[in-house]
Amino acid sequence: MRNYNLIRCPICSAVNIDNGDEIRCRRCEEKIYPTKNISYNRTIAYLLTAIILYFPANIYPILITKQFGVTHESTILGGIMLLWQAGSYPVAIIILVASVFVPILKFIFIIYLLIATKYNLKSAHTEKHKLFYITEAIGSWSMIDVFVVTILSVLIHFTAVKILPGAGATAFALMVFFTMLSALSFDTRLLKKEKD
Amino acid sequence: MKKDELDTLVICKKCHTLHKKIRIHKDTKAVCSYCNTVIYRHTKHLYRTTLALTFTALILLLVAFSFDILTININGVYKSLNLQSLFIMVFQEGYYLVGIMLLFLIVIFPIVILVSIIVLLILMHYKKAGYMVKRLLILIAKLQHWSMLDIFFISILVSMVKLFSYAQIELEISFFSFILLLILDIITIKKISFNELWILYEKIYLTKRRKK
Repeated sequence: MRNYNLIRCPICSAVNIDNGDEIRCRRCEEKIYPTKNISYNRTIAYLLTAIILYFPANIYPILITKQFGVTHESTILGGIMLLWQAGSYPVAIIILVASVFVPILKFIFIIYLLIATKYNLKSAHTEKHKLFYITEAIGSWSMIDVFVVTILSVLIHFTAVKILPGAGATAFALMVFFTMLSALSFDTRLLKKEKD
Repeated sequence: MKKDELDTLVICKKCHTLHKKIRIHKDTKAVCSYCNTVIYRHTKHLYRTTLALTFTALILLLVAFSFDILTININGVYKSLNLQSLFIMVFQEGYYLVGIMLLFLIVIFPIVILVSIIVLLILMHYKKAGYMVKRLLILIAKLQHWSMLDIFFISILVSMVKLFSYAQIELEISFFSFILLLILDIITIKKISFNELWILYEKIYLTKRRKK
């Protein structure tokens, strides 16, 4: 049994024999992964797009408050600081984790996995699989900030006081989208390379 | 290695450790020996439970989408949040990209997932349209990552906390239907494993084909 390279189909979770090339799952007949190089490069491309989008997402305001003609703009970090000063610590921590730490952690995890597969770093492949699983699971939680901004701008929409989403919100939503794509296009077969 | 032999194996979704499948009792689950993740279950009435729960979830989803989620009251001025007002605001102010993403992540994908589970279960019951069932199962597997109702609900809670100091908040029908929906969502999507549905699919359609 050791001689075979067995992999799990990411769609229907059937066990398949890996011949190192493009294969179709024997149960759902979907392509499991494209050729290794393609998925490797695709992951890098999506990751770079996400990292580039991370900067406008943090520099541009995510929330614009218009109060009696006075416009006040706040970025993600600025909003967290305000929440912290106002004393709502739990919410500040949730947003800090979801919209600052999670994207950065995802970048670091994916970069680590890419480097580890490229240079065959020696660590247990089960650990890497776990890391990848976490990366996939936490990805979508960064969308909290975008949702909160849109909900607030629906509720606070009066003639005198208005909250509007800023350009940062669009950049942030796109960034989350591309990090998710990057994680999804990562070929988990690469993690097993060191075995053979 | 023969194909039948592959069917006796299973790989953990979290740490990718290879296991040999064993028969388990009804209403029990098999966990990974390495990381304790549930690998597969044996649900007693898989077909009926899933259909009932998904149908309820779909009804709750429609309720959650058509009524107000919450109403705020700032010095006598009322403003309520529902999905229509959300999308009207987003598109009127010109945030098309965010609007389209929200539309897909909150509205379209959850509805598509629930409807396709119902359709595929009904098709499976009558043992018809094997190809369609397969496509639906693949569709669900691909969309699972992109349904963000739970995150949307947490966002509602976060914005409520942000508004506490300025406004009085009244919870409306949709809010409670969201809570029930998420509980059901956890049961249906996370607990009833699609692995079981795939095995059922294999049993119903593929064995017939092989005999022919």
